[in-house]
Amino acid sequence: MLPSNPHRVEITVIPFAQARDTFGFASRAVPCTPDDTPRQIVSRLWPAVEFAHLRVALDLEYATWDTPIGAARELAIIPPVSGG
Amino acid sequence: MEIEIRFTSEPIVIPPVAWPSREIGAVLEFQGLVRELEHGSAVPGLFYEAYEPMARKILHAHLAELGALHPIAAVLFIHRLGWVPVGEASLFIRVLSAHRGEALDYLAASVNRLKQDVPIWKRAAPPAG
Repeated sequence: MLPSNPHRVEITVIPFAQARDTFGFASRAVPCTPDDTPRQIVSRLWPAVEFAHLRVALDLEYATWDTPIGAARELAIIPPVSGG
Repeated sequence: MEIEIRFTSEPIVIPPVAWPSREIGAVLEFQGLVRELEHGSAVPGLFYEAYEPMARKILHAHLAELGALHPIAAVLFIHRLGWVPVGEASLFIRVLSAHRGEALDYLAASVNRLKQDVPIWKRAAPPAG
């Protein structure tokens, strides 16, 4: 049995619009650590993901794919927006 | 400055004007309608979705920031979500101000900001599933 890791947390990954079609789910709780970056977390879910046209938001704020998630609890995958 | 943001899955019903003061000299209203041609193809309508809490937060920040550039008294912003048939409004914005110049500038800028980074999406068909 592996020792428990006190830094193990969970983040909810929410892909929107076309990204939801790609990922095939609307929302998923994913185990991770505060040191993980959004790129690492999303790559584990979908290794072939192309990040070029996707933005990421952590707890309702735009973030970068390579900044550790820290205390964030919600990771949104945001394709190009087209409101109006 | 008053900012009100609404999202609705029902057809947009234009609400009566609420006057914040007797110093309002301009009321400007904009409706964005779904057109039949989307990227050159005829569509029966468009499906809209939003990451609503984030869209609300970013929109509020934009609308407040624009108020510093183009001082107005109040803005009401309504965006419809879900399926919107051709000819119906997906967007309604009402700007109240003392003078027309600020209202016109504010309205134009607010529609441009909407299309920058507010997490709202439209597509020709509802998502699968």
